[in-house]
Amino acid sequence: MIRARQFILSFILLLGMTSLAAANSGRLVADLSKSNIAITSGFHGTDLLLFGAVDGAVGDDILVVISGPPTDIAQRRKANRAGIWINVETNIWQKAPSLYTILATSPINKIASPETLASLAIGTNNIGLEIAAKTPVAGQSKPTAIEFIAALQANMASIDLWPDQNGNVTLTENALFRAEVKLPPNILSGTYNVRVLQFRNGVAISEDITNLYIKKGGLSAGIYNFAHNYSALYGIFAILFAVAAGWLAAVAFRRK
Amino acid sequence: MYIYLPIAEISMHIGIIIGLGGGVGFLSGLFGVGGGFLMTPLLIFFGIPPAVAVATEANQIVASSVSGVLAHMRRGNVDFKMGGILLLGGVIGSSLGVVLFTTLREMGQIDLVIKLSYVVFLGIIGFLMLLESVRTILHTRRPGGRKTKLHQHNWLHGLPLKMRFRRSKLYISALLPLAIGAFVGVLAAIMGVGGGFIMVPAMIYLLGMPTSVVVGTSLFQIIFVTANVTFLQSVQTQTVDFMLAGLLLFGAVIGAQFGTRASALLRGEQLRGLLALMVLAVCIKLGFDLALRPDDLFSVELLK
Repeated sequence: MIRARQFILSFILLLGMTSLAAANSGRLVADLSKSNIAITSGFHGTDLLLFGAVDGAVGDDILVVISGPPTDIAQRRKANRAGIWINVETNIWQKAPSLYTILATSPINKIASPETLASLAIGTNNIGLEIAAKTPVAGQSKPTAIEFIAALQANMASIDLWPDQNGNVTLTENALFRAEVKLPPNILSGTYNVRVLQFRNGVAISEDITNLYIKKGGLSAGIYNFAHNYSALYGIFAILFAVAAGWLAAVAFRRK
Repeated sequence: MYIYLPIAEISMHIGIIIGLGGGVGFLSGLFGVGGGFLMTPLLIFFGIPPAVAVATEANQIVASSVSGVLAHMRRGNVDFKMGGILLLGGVIGSSLGVVLFTTLREMGQIDLVIKLSYVVFLGIIGFLMLLESVRTILHTRRPGGRKTKLHQHNWLHGLPLKMRFRRSKLYISALLPLAIGAFVGVLAAIMGVGGGFIMVPAMIYLLGMPTSVVVGTSLFQIIFVTANVTFLQSVQTQTVDFMLAGLLLFGAVIGAQFGTRASALLRGEQLRGLLALMVLAVCIKLGFDLALRPDDLFSVELLK
């Protein structure tokens, strides 16, 4: 049922696209099954469908890059000091994508050369991430991205935010493409960038960008906003709630 | 069914949260302890950020102490004057503790300090309790145990600002309970506990209070210390997760009832011995975490 609906959607889009292609040079159109997602109390990650149409030929590849709202990431390194393992170094990655997922029709190294991917800023190695010591010490060498990026990629992959397993894109009749996108439960709210590229013989020949908006919603957003905007009141409320709950419990279970 | 915790910003199965509350509630009912020292490490183990675990647990302890103190008040087992002095110290100590907590968190060392505090204090208390309960169990087997004085006098009783605490049958310096309250307050703020497991022995062995009023008075002052921590963490770090606290509470209230019933099946010294073993188990687990080489030397934190 859903599949049928998605197919019809894609088909309508294809019709729209052919007229669009005639009008201008755009050869790729992509959209999401939902572009607004609310993080409500029941949120446990979400699945959505990316679909679109492309003016393709045999052997073309579609590559999708989803990049989450940029955030600073603290990276800590542990070392053994006096028998216990403690954090000895903290570096901050500046404005790194809070989510970075690549989906494609083939393994990414078969689609284009590393140089091409670098020039297109595809892959977390190629997006110009910068690192700085949290508290720079005079005379100490500055941390470099090359030195620490592999550890960052591993850590981010372990919390599903930069998965290193790429998802699949299916291209049908060199015209319609679709991909199931899984977003993990720990994603940040904000604007997500969805970039779709068409590759032919290792060269990107068309591109489309669309956005995905993730916001906190419902009770969950209410509590979050209350806690951040009226924090003193929130604290008092939390205390009063606890006192009332404790009192109720004592009364309810009072032994005769 | 999963629930998205608005402040912790993670999704967790509702059964796990209520189960944790119930399990720890059962043990706290069984042993007559607050259970913060079990709950906070468990929450961290299940992926709740340490800052949120500590602050939220303080919020939950407010509730469990209120329901505990009501029972003690009915029996007249609360020394309000002593409790007042202790809580004055506790409020000062826990305020300092929250500031210290925020600083350590920014330095990236809060996990270390939380774990170290647990290892040190649970280790000491667990060991002493085990020793005491083993001794009691051995003594009850031989009739005619050693008689001790009500309490020993030492240099601590020579401090100024002496006050009379009628309920506790004591005439001691107010500075002593004030200092104890402050010290336990700092720990409460950093470890996400009520601090009863340190407060109770301190009241018995350092202050020389009669055991009948110790638990009630300790609970009474814990309400205010944890309320203070809840308020300050809400204002300063916004890490009190009201939804998490509520669900834990729900489980804990039910679990505690079964725990209290189960406690009637065991003798006092046996209960204390078991509690000591549990305290030591948590201590050893956290000790290993610190001493063993972690699988990954690197860790990340998204700074929102």
